[in-house]
Amino acid sequence: MTILQLSMNGIALGAAYALVALGFVLVLNATGAVNFAHGDLVMAGGMLAVALAPLIPAPGIALLPLVLALMAGLGLLVSLLAYLPLRGRPHVSVFISTIALGIILQNGANALFGGEPRAAPPLLSGGSVALGGLVVSVQSVAIVAVAALLIGAQQWVFARTQLGRRLRATAQDPEMARACGIPVTAMILATFALGTAYAGAAGLLLANQFFVTPTAGGDLILKAYIAVTVGGWGSVPGAVVGALLIALFEVGVSAVLSYPVALGALYATLLVILVVRPQGLFGEAARRRA
Amino acid sequence: MRRTRPNPILALAAIALLAYALLYASPYGLRVLTVAGVYALMAIGFQVVFGLAGALSLAHGAFFGVGAYATGILGSQLGWTFPATFPVSLALPVLLALFVGLPVLRLESHYFALATLGIAQVVLLLAVNTPDLTGGANGLPGVPGISAFGMDVPRGLPLAAMVWVAVALGGVAAWALARGRWGRALTLLRDDPLAAATLGLDVGRLRLQAFALSALYAGAAGALAVHTQRVVSPEVLEFPVMVSVLTIAVVGGRGRVAGAVLGALLLIHLPEWFRFLERSYLILYGAALLAAIVLAPHGLTGLLERLLPAKPRPLPAAVPLPPQVAAEGTVLRVEGLAKAFGGVRAVDGVSFTLEASRITGLIGPNGSGKTTLINLVSGLERPDAGRVDLLGRPLAGQRSDRIARAGIARTFQAAGLPEDAGVLDTVAAARLERDSSVAAARAHAMAVLARLGAAELASQRCGRLPAGLRRRVELARALARQPLVLLLDEPAAGLTDAEKAELAAQIRAVAAEGVAVLVVEHDMGFLLPLADRVLGLDQGRVLYDGDPAGVPHDPAVVSAYLGTPA
Amino acid sequence: MTDLLRIEGLSAGYGGATAVDRVTLALGAGEAVALLGANGAGKSTLIKAVLGLVPSAGRVVFDGADLTALAPERRVRLGLGYVPEGRRVFPGMSVRDNLEVASFASAAKRRAALEHVFALFPQLREKADERAWRLSGGQQQMLAIGRALMGEPRLLLLDEPSLGLSPKLAGEVFAAVRAITQTGTAVLVAEQSTARALAVGRRAVLLRLGAVVHDGPAAELDEETLRAAFLGVPLADDGSGR
Repeated sequence: MTILQLSMNGIALGAAYALVALGFVLVLNATGAVNFAHGDLVMAGGMLAVALAPLIPAPGIALLPLVLALMAGLGLLVSLLAYLPLRGRPHVSVFISTIALGIILQNGANALFGGEPRAAPPLLSGGSVALGGLVVSVQSVAIVAVAALLIGAQQWVFARTQLGRRLRATAQDPEMARACGIPVTAMILATFALGTAYAGAAGLLLANQFFVTPTAGGDLILKAYIAVTVGGWGSVPGAVVGALLIALFEVGVSAVLSYPVALGALYATLLVILVVRPQGLFGEAARRRA
Repeated sequence: MRRTRPNPILALAAIALLAYALLYASPYGLRVLTVAGVYALMAIGFQVVFGLAGALSLAHGAFFGVGAYATGILGSQLGWTFPATFPVSLALPVLLALFVGLPVLRLESHYFALATLGIAQVVLLLAVNTPDLTGGANGLPGVPGISAFGMDVPRGLPLAAMVWVAVALGGVAAWALARGRWGRALTLLRDDPLAAATLGLDVGRLRLQAFALSALYAGAAGALAVHTQRVVSPEVLEFPVMVSVLTIAVVGGRGRVAGAVLGALLLIHLPEWFRFLERSYLILYGAALLAAIVLAPHGLTGLLERLLPAKPRPLPAAVPLPPQVAAEGTVLRVEGLAKAFGGVRAVDGVSFTLEASRITGLIGPNGSGKTTLINLVSGLERPDAGRVDLLGRPLAGQRSDRIARAGIARTFQAAGLPEDAGVLDTVAAARLERDSSVAAARAHAMAVLARLGAAELASQRCGRLPAGLRRRVELARALARQPLVLLLDEPAAGLTDAEKAELAAQIRAVAAEGVAVLVVEHDMGFLLPLADRVLGLDQGRVLYDGDPAGVPHDPAVVSAYLGTPA
Repeated sequence: MTDLLRIEGLSAGYGGATAVDRVTLALGAGEAVALLGANGAGKSTLIKAVLGLVPSAGRVVFDGADLTALAPERRVRLGLGYVPEGRRVFPGMSVRDNLEVASFASAAKRRAALEHVFALFPQLREKADERAWRLSGGQQQMLAIGRALMGEPRLLLLDEPSLGLSPKLAGEVFAAVRAITQTGTAVLVAEQSTARALAVGRRAVLLRLGAVVHDGPAAELDEETLRAAFLGVPLADDGSGR
């Protein structure tokens, strides 16, 4: 495959990963909690799309609003079960509770759908289109378009609406946000709903080209984490850039060597970054232990 | 930390288990029991790093897998026997732990957890993708059973017995370690890492030791697992193994050896009871883990203790602290100390000395730099410039545990005693670095508490004490260090008048023994009669250094506090 | 004059220590009160207790409503404005966003309130689209005050607004606070810098170690009483110093 072709694949993959990372970092900012189940939520979105597809005789894109809505509801459930009861407890409790939810999601999916890879329908169609002298799959273009739309929507809401301002204030200083009259608990719930909805959308986008298995979440949470670490813990644009870089790296190394090597190299890079420059490209220095 | 003495229920459970194994269990039942033993051993190791040291290591399954593969490869490919393969299965995970632990353990909790997850994924990838070494995705069959010195340990009762003997030995060892100085130091570091450093404990080294020890147990469990299964495959490195260990540790009771064993027995037999769920038994694990962490964070052993509270350990007799030569003259010399935070100069060229047997007061309005100054001297912050010399030895910029060991002790403004810990154990923690045994530490701690008139508090929980008594325990903890320099950060805050008078008397007694004392305080009525000398700070600079009597009349001090307009 | 704010037997503290000890005090609509005292006297804790940011015992009644069971965000919506110690502007948000987020009115009213704040603090209008972390200390202080005003409070609570500011900037901040008192908003200013606070408040409440030792016209507060409260020289009529 040519470099341009690979880049196009990488960009499409990166767009989907960017949605994953975005959902992850939004929840992280709002709550300070790492949601270990985030990758499994992406998988759940993919499985949801697979399950809904036979019921809706339309291109995959028609599933998007439904997936967003249902996954938002799931996000509320996640926050009610695994986050809200543990406020005030040390952060490790939320890691464990979300690990537990991830296990339930993974094995629930296994029980409902079996372990074989499943594919969701393509967003528009399975064909190709000529784009400036290059032949690209319609699916790739659609993925980039949908991801760009969703990310753009999130940026717009956060920058221009009162709700968005309140969400940002809650993430930056929850106590002061309260003292400004902002209903902080509601904002946190909303953030979980939004982050999970975006995870689900990413699942829908990934599930056609990449198939979805119940255990797909494990790699995804690590990639989301790498994206956020590379971009700078807590930085939203950093997470998006990090996700793109991961995808390009993955596609590139897979093409030259193999996917497992790409994955291994990715993790190794993560460890090196954590040791050498924990603050990533954009973020502030990670606090060390005493 | 709670005293740990064997609970009668656990003894009964052990006997029941033995009876079951010997009299009732079928060969399949023995097989499950063996697997439960393997997981118990692995979980005991996990309790060391997760329960005692408080670090959520998701690489534990990887250490298990490395131990398994070591025995698997050496046994099936090279024909090595147990006496040769077992030590390798112990050593390799420990080496891996030391190698990855050094950079990764200093990271904050979520970074650490995810870094260990990354390590686990790398090891799994290696196992699957190096078929020449590991047999790839199919693994290696034909791993021999345990055979040592001409004797075979066949599957069934003998193997189950061997595994459970290993569990017993490993469990007793871990239990003894947890109760000893090392274990106490680890729990202090888990509950209050800042205090641990200021009490002289080398936090980094302790964590690395806990991490390496956990890897040892995991490696042993892996080797035994492979001898049971006679096959090694990437399954041993997959996430469900880690999940199981985590669930066992949390459901059983975090930090407790008994919890690891109970949890393993319960959770390994659970899928057998819920056979109809087949592979979905993991959903139960997830639900159990969630329920445990939300509703019963102290797990099964915590519930048992609530039902049958254990008898408290008797208090030891007080043993006076070993005598120390009192220092004389200038003990601490600070010159030109400076620290800026993002452009704001919190401490701006501060110089002063502390003399033995003298009490120096440190005053200043809000934001004047008092707490930063104490943090700089005690090593919680590194200065940008300046010197801090203790009896001529330069300490500026050193790690806080080194500074503590050199002889500087401090208390904190927001009295941060661990809520659940007992008073005696909290004070004894200050002696862990000095004394050779926990018993000696506790005996010395009794003496210090008695000196402060707090002996009757020894068996109480810190969280139950009112402010005045908490401050006294904090003071006792600092005094137990037998420091040359004592830094007290607002020790009188929240005390009644009577308590303040007692505190003043106690501080005078401490100084009389030769300690150089620095007291930060706002309450002038308390501080001015007590201090031999007063330092006044404002905006990071010293604006008064002299007699306490002059403080209320010094124009610079008055203006700093009352604020004359420009 | 019916009381806008009534504090009855309020006690509050941290980690077992009592920072505010059964304080009773009342404020009328439009009143300007200086809350004085040394550090550790309880000024900050008192204000936080009124807002519900720290747990407390006793009663706080605002405009007839008992605040005891209400969360801070609800109390603020009843008409309290908070300017915290250290300013605590939302660092990653622009000046405009910092201001707008604190309004709970419709878009049109929000814009009107924004104009009002810009009129009071022209420097903020110039920097409207800058991130708050880039502002200087003085500008951040003005932003924090403006933010509290966006909720159209009837009582503005300020905690050490001159902390960390040069005398000149502190002067500007207090001039703004004085202007606010003239609009009919009640103001309670906690300050270590007595002289500044007294320029704003007609009435002075002096705290020492969590208790009220003086509550009356600022003019009646003499230097001896102040010195005693801050520096522990015993009061003439009370030899014990408390």
